[in-house]
Amino acid sequence: MKQPPRMKITAPISTPAEVEPLVRAGARELYCGVVPPDWVRRFNTSGVNRRVFGNLNGYADLERVIDKAHTLDAEVFLVLNAQQYGEQHLDALTEIGARFRSIGGNAAIVADISLIASLAANVPELPIHVSSVATCRNVESARFFAQLGARRIILPRDVTVAEISAIATELPELDIEAFVLNDGCVFEEGTCHTVHLPMNKGGPICIDNYQFEYRAASGEAPAERALRRLEKNDQDYKRWLWYRFGNGFSVAPNGYPWGPCGLCAMPAMHAAGVHSVKIAGREGASERKVKSVELVHEVLRRIEDGEPEPKVRECAVGLRDAPSHCASGYMCYYPEKRSRPEIPVHAQPA
Amino acid sequence: MPPGRGAKTEESRRPIHDTDPDPDPHPDLSIPPKPPAGPIELGFALVDERELAAFARQERVTRDDYLERLGDARQCVTLPDDAEPTHFFLGSEFCEHLLPSIEAIDRAVALCERWGVTFGLVTPIACDSLFEPLRAALARLPAGAEVTVNDWGVARVVQREFPGLRPVAGRLLGKMLKDPRLPSATWARMYPNGLRAGPFREILDNLGIGRLELDFPPFGAADMYAGIDFPVGVRAPYGYIAKGRICKLGSLALDVPEKFSPGHRCRRECLGFSEVGARPGTRELETSQRGNTMYYRHAPGMTAAIAEAVAKGWVSRIVLSGA
Repeated sequence: MKQPPRMKITAPISTPAEVEPLVRAGARELYCGVVPPDWVRRFNTSGVNRRVFGNLNGYADLERVIDKAHTLDAEVFLVLNAQQYGEQHLDALTEIGARFRSIGGNAAIVADISLIASLAANVPELPIHVSSVATCRNVESARFFAQLGARRIILPRDVTVAEISAIATELPELDIEAFVLNDGCVFEEGTCHTVHLPMNKGGPICIDNYQFEYRAASGEAPAERALRRLEKNDQDYKRWLWYRFGNGFSVAPNGYPWGPCGLCAMPAMHAAGVHSVKIAGREGASERKVKSVELVHEVLRRIEDGEPEPKVRECAVGLRDAPSHCASGYMCYYPEKRSRPEIPVHAQPA
Repeated sequence: MPPGRGAKTEESRRPIHDTDPDPDPHPDLSIPPKPPAGPIELGFALVDERELAAFARQERVTRDDYLERLGDARQCVTLPDDAEPTHFFLGSEFCEHLLPSIEAIDRAVALCERWGVTFGLVTPIACDSLFEPLRAALARLPAGAEVTVNDWGVARVVQREFPGLRPVAGRLLGKMLKDPRLPSATWARMYPNGLRAGPFREILDNLGIGRLELDFPPFGAADMYAGIDFPVGVRAPYGYIAKGRICKLGSLALDVPEKFSPGHRCRRECLGFSEVGARPGTRELETSQRGNTMYYRHAPGMTAAIAEAVAKGWVSRIVLSGA
């Protein structure tokens, strides 16, 4: 009987030194960005991809990454994933894609439809992965991108496991990648038209210091009772935000990362034929990346060993040694799949 | 001096974030302004189908009827003297829970026939379960009706299954930086828009899309839509900054573990409440949040720039809508 392809772990890197520890920890796919010096000279911006920081230093580093990864039987993907590019950038980006392919790169991660079309036409040997920034989250949209030349769809964060399964089942010819750990946006990446400002200028808009007041549809302040409910909901939302941003940007006592997590959903995603699970956080510390891969790899190993789903989920909840956070439900990418350990109410985090 | 770059003295009096005081020379400025062939098109976009009742008694609609619906935000809109309603839209660009009911669509289509304006259905980014009700909604539309598409999959379905309808690319497909917090126009140029890119044009052509609907961004200049190969409509007087699938307000009635997750039920609380505010100590654009979406309201300089873009023929439609 034919074995299903192994689900892969896709991990971020920002230096060549990260390749070996991440692959040794269990990552089979690595993604990275690069800002070529001539790009900055030509366009006076470092906006080659979605992140200003967390990029490799140049093509020499990119070659080192590819060589090392291939030696270790891992693949390397290049992010060209800005939400949009100007028409003046397309040729230069297509050249970057061609150069990446010529040095052995495995695929480009792209969101802008013009760049997808340009790469498909001009560098047809370079597989295209549609970035989560493209907000492709239905079967028809996935077919649209496949027609443009995409080989893989990276689903955005806020989808359900049922939606992931439906797309993966309906389109077996496409690889499907889904988020599993770290770095949760509040808004959809493809429809958030902001930049992450430096923290002293406000940081990401979703945690910036906006002072909002509620208004009813009439334009007046809401009635007292409604306002109390809204304010209670706001408190819950603040708590959810704390989880969304890595439990206040902290790590578990045993070094594993907090933050949005889809470990409990991995058995279902594996069963649905999801090709790979994505760990976010190119800008993160190397240690955090390695611990993230270890965490996901431990769950994947148990799935591949045939452990029953409830047992895998139980293990997933126990890995960080602080199940109360899991019990909150707010740390989950896919809360409908979360394991529900019996935690005394008084032991739950405030 | 290229069009749209007014006297510096006038610019310097504008509030911060009004318009770009020193926009980059644009490659398409060699294209002369295109005087409008006639009056511009004027639309009104309604999200809450319950508000159709307010229109139901009217035998005809005027620009004042549309402007009145904006409340005090009408001061942020400048229309040409001869602009009168040509379109009426129903539906949400931002939320799968706000697809209008079949009954509301039928009522709106009938109103549009009475008023002699074109009906348009506005559609969001779709999850797979939305396609069935969406197909049912599209089947109610008369030939020639518009469909504002904000999802490439929805665009495919409209083209393939409803060839009598006219798809318009909604503002979720016209990507651009719209962060009202940006300290200067230089930041706004970090990721320029790709609306003039050849592949973008071809993709829209191949999907039968003949028009773009866009926002007017902070630091935008009057000429920013000059030279685009498609007729351009601008939403006014609000632009959207960001939209999510997670909805704080839509979680109001949910129990704690189910809140702030995708795919849950919704009681459409966003139609009853919104939030308005600003960052303390700033003079930025007025900002609001309704449901899963953040908006900025146009400042006077932006209103003037849009009026100039209309006068020069770079914008051929204004779609009035609330936040």
